[in-house]
Amino acid sequence: MIEDRADASPEDSASEPVEAVVRPAGPARYRWYVLVGVLVILLSLPLMRPLISSYSYTMTLGALVFMWVAMTSSWNILGGYAGYISLGHSVFMGVGGYVAGVLLYYYDVSPFLTAPLGGLAAVALGFLAGFITLRTRGPAFIISTIALLFMFLLLFDNIEYLGGSAGLPLPSPPFPQDWLRTPFYYAMLLSAMGSVWLSYRVAHSKYGMGLRAIAEDETKAEVAGVPTRLYKISAFAMSAFWVGVVGAIYGYSISFVRPTVFFTVAISAQMVLMAIIGGKGTVAGPVLGAVLIYAINEFSLIAFGASEINIAIQGGLLVAVLLFFPLGIVGTLRKRNWLPAFLDWD
Amino acid sequence: MTNVIQVAILGLLLGGVYALMAAGLTLAFGVMRIVNLAHAVFIIASAYISFFMFENLGLDPLLSVVIVMPLMFLFGVAVYQVLFRRIEGTPRYTEMTVLLTFGIAIIIEGLLGFFFTGIFRKADPEYATDSFIVSGLFLPEGDILFIPKGQFFATLLSMVLLFGLWGFLRYSQTGYAIRATMQNRAAAQIVGVNVRRVSAISFGLSTALAGASGALMSYLFPFFPFRHWQWVAVLLALVVLGGMGSIKGAVIGAFALGVASSFVVDRIGPTWGPMTFYLALFIILLVRPRGLFGKEVAV
Repeated sequence: MIEDRADASPEDSASEPVEAVVRPAGPARYRWYVLVGVLVILLSLPLMRPLISSYSYTMTLGALVFMWVAMTSSWNILGGYAGYISLGHSVFMGVGGYVAGVLLYYYDVSPFLTAPLGGLAAVALGFLAGFITLRTRGPAFIISTIALLFMFLLLFDNIEYLGGSAGLPLPSPPFPQDWLRTPFYYAMLLSAMGSVWLSYRVAHSKYGMGLRAIAEDETKAEVAGVPTRLYKISAFAMSAFWVGVVGAIYGYSISFVRPTVFFTVAISAQMVLMAIIGGKGTVAGPVLGAVLIYAINEFSLIAFGASEINIAIQGGLLVAVLLFFPLGIVGTLRKRNWLPAFLDWD
Repeated sequence: MTNVIQVAILGLLLGGVYALMAAGLTLAFGVMRIVNLAHAVFIIASAYISFFMFENLGLDPLLSVVIVMPLMFLFGVAVYQVLFRRIEGTPRYTEMTVLLTFGIAIIIEGLLGFFFTGIFRKADPEYATDSFIVSGLFLPEGDILFIPKGQFFATLLSMVLLFGLWGFLRYSQTGYAIRATMQNRAAAQIVGVNVRRVSAISFGLSTALAGASGALMSYLFPFFPFRHWQWVAVLLALVVLGGMGSIKGAVIGAFALGVASSFVVDRIGPTWGPMTFYLALFIILLVRPRGLFGKEVAV
């Protein structure tokens, strides 16, 4: 489907040597300018220290936004493309966090090195969990992901080696105090880029088309020759990877791992909310949704303080979007042909 | 031997309460294909009503059912009319209900937390900590059994309500229509059932059952707003286990797992009690994904 699009990037065309290379023109070219520009700004932001008034805060904020972008884009592979909504994805964050946490606590290896291992552990769990939970469809699947989450909360609460419900304290990173937050910023930014890249690659592949077919009508997809079970399970596993990676980095950044930090419905709820508000099943939607919801959270924290009202606001947003814009921002804009080219990554 | 009987009794008494909670949840799925993730938060909201009526007016939690159930019935009908009517006929309707009720659950959780704070609450009528002591009968000399009064009354009330529900579904005109809608929504509509009215009533019934469960919860289990996630996980496990939409399945599942978890608590430790439900869920998904009494559900 890529080759018949006028705005295909050179990279995509290169993989199709038969087709003539189509130069991006007009809005498509401006899309790449915008995206590369944003990326350059984000990458160079930490180096402009004198220009930023509250440096640590900016770095922490950036890292958290990127973390949500990475997780939501990752969630989207299963929840958006394949249409299997997981309310237990924070399990993978916890597993990643604990793998890196244990390696740091007992063996003194930096989570910046072991974060990919955390991701792989999450993938392994994704395979295993998917093997069982994906025997069901729709609501029963959603329910089993919630059960998975609570099972792990209970499990990790009671394992001595992992510190039980108190968790493990982690040593502070060995960086100079002034630059303490910067490595986390870059690590999360790289994860977010990796996650969005993966999401993009999946969306533009035959595999991704198979996942979308499953979301549309699983029986028809099966009849048409899509190996649905294999696709679903691998999508579950794949969507766990970057969640595990950022879990590892996040645990290090807050200096402890504890079951109630990771294995909560609240984190899964955020992923779902961000993906749906941005537009699930699109590449840009989760990115947009993550940034937007994070901004709303910060503002309502400033406006109402750390009160329970923030939780209610999130729920209200979810209900409102579901009722009035079920396609999310990107989906709704595209339907009305208002989607600016720099947000059209599908 | 006595110990085994004791543990089994405690399990059955627990199962009786779980059955009431799960029955409402499975009714909503059976009739309207609504997977109500907000069911447990409805229960906790009702528990707050009962709790405050007990604290301020001295009204017994068991009696408060008379007020809480009609209140929650009206609430349920309103929620159905305002929210669920809007999404009728949308593609992937059931999944939509999951997300919608997820949002509702978060809203109510936030509001409860805002108004009542996150501290533990528990009503304490005097029977809550009292027990019947059974001795003699078939028991060996000197052995006694404890039957906690609070649990016993709760299970009794739950059985009365479930029996009432059964009678209503079996013998009343509306109940007849509800069962017809459960079996085949389109066909029921064709033969003249007002499916929308039936759905609104069923959802009201489902939340009324949540209300009654909340009244029981107010003195049986300590509660706070955030607790509802743990409850909903357990209840959904029960419902999937019994077969989604099967009230019989939910009740049998509740008793079976109530006893099972009671034994797990006794033999392995109290922290592992809830694990019984999650493990049972995964085992049943592996062996029989449609649940014990479920039909193959087209989603």
